[in-house]
Amino acid sequence: MFHILLALADKERHGYHIMREVDERTNGNVKLGPGTLYGSIKRMMADGLIEELEERPAPDLDDERRRYYRLTDFGYRVASAEAQRLEQMVRSARAKKLLPRTKAG
Amino acid sequence: MNKTLTREGKIFLSLYSILLLIYPREFRRQYGSQMVLLLLDCERDASNRRALMRLWLRTLMDFVRTAPHEHLQNMRKENQFMNKLRTDLVAIGACLTLIIGALLLLNYGRSHQVSSILLFGHVLDALVFTGVIGNLIAFLLVRLTTLRPLRVVLWTFLIVSVASALASVAIASRVDPNFDAAKVVIGYAVSFLFWYGLHWLWAQKLKPSETS
Repeated sequence: MFHILLALADKERHGYHIMREVDERTNGNVKLGPGTLYGSIKRMMADGLIEELEERPAPDLDDERRRYYRLTDFGYRVASAEAQRLEQMVRSARAKKLLPRTKAG
Repeated sequence: MNKTLTREGKIFLSLYSILLLIYPREFRRQYGSQMVLLLLDCERDASNRRALMRLWLRTLMDFVRTAPHEHLQNMRKENQFMNKLRTDLVAIGACLTLIIGALLLLNYGRSHQVSSILLFGHVLDALVFTGVIGNLIAFLLVRLTTLRPLRVVLWTFLIVSVASALASVAIASRVDPNFDAAKVVIGYAVSFLFWYGLHWLWAQKLKPSETS
């Protein structure tokens, strides 16, 4: 779910774009199938994390059957909170020397 | 992205469209076409036959994992709806039984001049009147808004009881010079306590099942 939130953090995307973005960002380690992706989208929409755009793309620019999704304000806050939680965990792991230290700046 | 599909690609796409029938109807109706479109994009994107085979295998695994999951989710939702409906029906049935019981008792007391029943005539009158109006308003407010149920019941019955008592006193004292306003006020006060108490008990009963 966080992968999808992250994919939609910078701009609205349709299903295939979300799938590609997750695939590229995780170097192919996370591959979302159609059932997983749209099942997650359904639940995230029900939870108010994402919403479907009412406008459809112009037929000459993209397939007008595509549905685009974007983060809601609530979804943005949830994604941000989760990112902070993960950052905190990484910091703790680094303090315990489980990760190499990054250069300052 | 603009590559044309191979014959096998088209066959798998058709097969996948048939497999989609196994997903719950609502899910299929909402996302079925998008899922086919997604697979079509992925097939166009596959660079060679091997990549295509990997995609099909992954898609089938995804189908096996997610179709039962969607059905389970659906069943859980339906169960919640049925439980809510059953609870509502029991509550409505109980309120109706009490109102009809009070009405029958009052009618019997009046037609047979049973003094022990008529002694509580004002209470029964108030019980029936506030029962019908108050429960109807409270039910609609609880179902149509996100207000807290017990607070809705408290204010609804308080307003209905006070308004009814004031209206009764104002109207009846003009018509009947021997009208006893105190009895009417006591009747509505008892009725308010009765209905609010009943809803409070019902809320206490529902608490454990809601939290589980």
